[in-house]
Amino acid sequence: MEVNQILYMNGGDGETSYANNSLIQKGVMLKAKPILEESIVRLSLSSNFPECVKLADFGCSSGPNTLLLAWEIMDIIHATCQRVNRKAPMFQVFLNDLPGNDFNTIFRTLPSFYEKLKKEKGSEFERACFIAGMPGTFYGRLFPDCFLHFVHSSYSLHWRSQVPEGLVGESGVPLNKGNIHIAKTSPHNVLKAYSDLFEKDFTLFLRSRSQEMVPGGHMVLVVMGSTGKADSSSNQSCSIWELLGITLNDMVLEGKVDEAKLDSFNLPYYAPTIEEAKAVIQTEGTFNIHRFETFEVDWDCNIDDDMSNKGYSFGKPGRGKYVAMSIRVVTESMLVGHFGKEIMDDLFERFSSKIEEYLEVEEGKHMNLIISMTKNG
Amino acid sequence: MELLAQSFHMNKAVEGTSYAKNSSIQSKIISITKCITEEAILEVLCKNLPESMGIADLGCSSGPNVLSVISKITNIIYAKCSQSGLPKPPELRIFLNDLYNNDFNGIFGSLPDFYNQMKEVNGNSFGPCFIFGVPASFYGRLFPSNSLHFVHSSSSLHWLSQVPPELDVKASTAINKGHIYICESSPQNVLDSYYRQFQKDFSLFLKSRAEEIVPGGRMVLTFMGRRFMDPTIEEGCYNQLELLAQALMSVAAEGLIPEEKVDTFNTPYYAPCPEEIKLEVEKEGSFVMNRLEVFEIDWDGGSAEASNTVSMGRRVAKLVRAVIEPMLESQFGSDIMDYLFQRYEKILDNHLSKTRSKYINLVISVAKNSEGLGN
Repeated sequence: MEVNQILYMNGGDGETSYANNSLIQKGVMLKAKPILEESIVRLSLSSNFPECVKLADFGCSSGPNTLLLAWEIMDIIHATCQRVNRKAPMFQVFLNDLPGNDFNTIFRTLPSFYEKLKKEKGSEFERACFIAGMPGTFYGRLFPDCFLHFVHSSYSLHWRSQVPEGLVGESGVPLNKGNIHIAKTSPHNVLKAYSDLFEKDFTLFLRSRSQEMVPGGHMVLVVMGSTGKADSSSNQSCSIWELLGITLNDMVLEGKVDEAKLDSFNLPYYAPTIEEAKAVIQTEGTFNIHRFETFEVDWDCNIDDDMSNKGYSFGKPGRGKYVAMSIRVVTESMLVGHFGKEIMDDLFERFSSKIEEYLEVEEGKHMNLIISMTKNG
Repeated sequence: MELLAQSFHMNKAVEGTSYAKNSSIQSKIISITKCITEEAILEVLCKNLPESMGIADLGCSSGPNVLSVISKITNIIYAKCSQSGLPKPPELRIFLNDLYNNDFNGIFGSLPDFYNQMKEVNGNSFGPCFIFGVPASFYGRLFPSNSLHFVHSSSSLHWLSQVPPELDVKASTAINKGHIYICESSPQNVLDSYYRQFQKDFSLFLKSRAEEIVPGGRMVLTFMGRRFMDPTIEEGCYNQLELLAQALMSVAAEGLIPEEKVDTFNTPYYAPCPEEIKLEVEKEGSFVMNRLEVFEIDWDGGSAEASNTVSMGRRVAKLVRAVIEPMLESQFGSDIMDYLFQRYEKILDNHLSKTRSKYINLVISVAKNSEGLGN
């Protein structure tokens, strides 16, 4: 799987678009806001505050959350500058994601974004903000040296640069049979392959950003995390990916999906533990950690907003569908590439029921890490 | 009509009518002006080789021309640097600008292969190169002050920021009935409206670029124009638009589109003459004009694939359609487009059987003053 080509959120703004199904990610951003705010205020009060602040969002995706972040950051900087009687800076906002991301949909909303800026902040703000797209993988350099003042990334760093190598044994036998990610039946060497790849990827991410940031620049990262191998005391509990894997297994047993196809599919995804993430940061060595915290969001975070946005009138039965859709918009591009388009509707129908059943007896929560750092110097 | 910035774009990737598949004229124009571009870039590099260069292509559109322009520019830079025996090549910050509805996804999708190709072609001369997409109108600021060394713009500046407001009125007060641009019989108020809008737009363009370009930086701008001061003299694109107006009127006469819609449709386009350009450059004051040249190009781009099976009228209609269809659709709806362009094709065939028709293009090369004014 060529991840850089095949990983993208569902584009456009239709029913199965990421734009229309990303309230969970919005909820995550809201929870992270106090730490984001603290970091931006610190940046705004620093002595060598620039005339033009360059900020970048890595893994910006495509939808209302993209520009929401830019708005929040400019808002905080503006308010802080007013408080300390400082001239508000110009902003250059760089939106990064892989080349397959739907940038057109974001860019099309810019005129109304600028209109809103002008209305709420005054006309001098309209031309004080320049927004540009920077397509490419963030596992590697994307910007010139000493260019960026502020770096943000939310719900992107758990995506790996590729599927880990070594998931197929010497005799060609897939090591992670029946699973699409790390699950209870995954052997230790599968876990190690994922963990090693995370270390390699995250190191490259940090090193690249370090060269791109000015000394004293700030970074806030939010990423899905895990608590370690034994996810919880209840041995009935599952990650959302395990549930998806189980759903696919059911389809294999019914002859709807080829067993070899399932065995050879593994998600390019890994949610690190606190220790793993910290270790990489400390080894890379050019960043000071100010805050390192964890928080949880429900699998069905913001479901009420979604229901009122879309005019659904039913209650609980919507949970499975909502959560399944939130996963669909994020994984469909990869699943279609491997399993074909035809099984998608059936897969997600079943997945939705499975989630519904699961949530009757277990809590579904995503664990997340939020890290606030500054670059040395 | 709303400000163009929000809706204007070339035909997207839809089979045969896309801009990407029908931009051979624009490609030819880029080739013809290559020498002037090369000369301008070498001048920038001669003064003092910057460690980091900001380069912008304004009105980049999408399709194969975009990256071919960039690769021409970067090849010139890398070749010069390697010739000068520099220890390391400059870092290039390349900004591809067009309006919000431009197909940036198409460009971005081609970038990974493009970077690989650049590495292969340039080998050791290849240095850090960052390519950004900038969605915004170039009638206004796009970049921080003093951040650009070279600005390129091809086949874009003949598009105005809007239809001149005096023309953008309801049918009862329309002053350019039956036409969609300037023509032989245009009254003075139509001519004045178009010229005023051009002056407003082009002066804002120059002022914005003046703040963004470093002293000694250069700009090479190519766009449709005309040779003579009198804009009612038939030449260049003028006639092509007048023939399109005839096609629209004949479709209206069949009752397929309301005539008022034709009367209230005007293209947000202007082809300036050299004197009009010089005047604005002098008025703005931050740039010195190094070159201003005029060249002709056939309506079908002098297509080498001139074949017996496809008439010139059809070839030309296709090229015009790729560029103007989105605008026509928003006024007349998409259903009538095929029929309209078939009618246009016939009118073009008829015209081209009697007259050789060419576009007039202007190319200007300017340098930002090294000191004082406009910094």
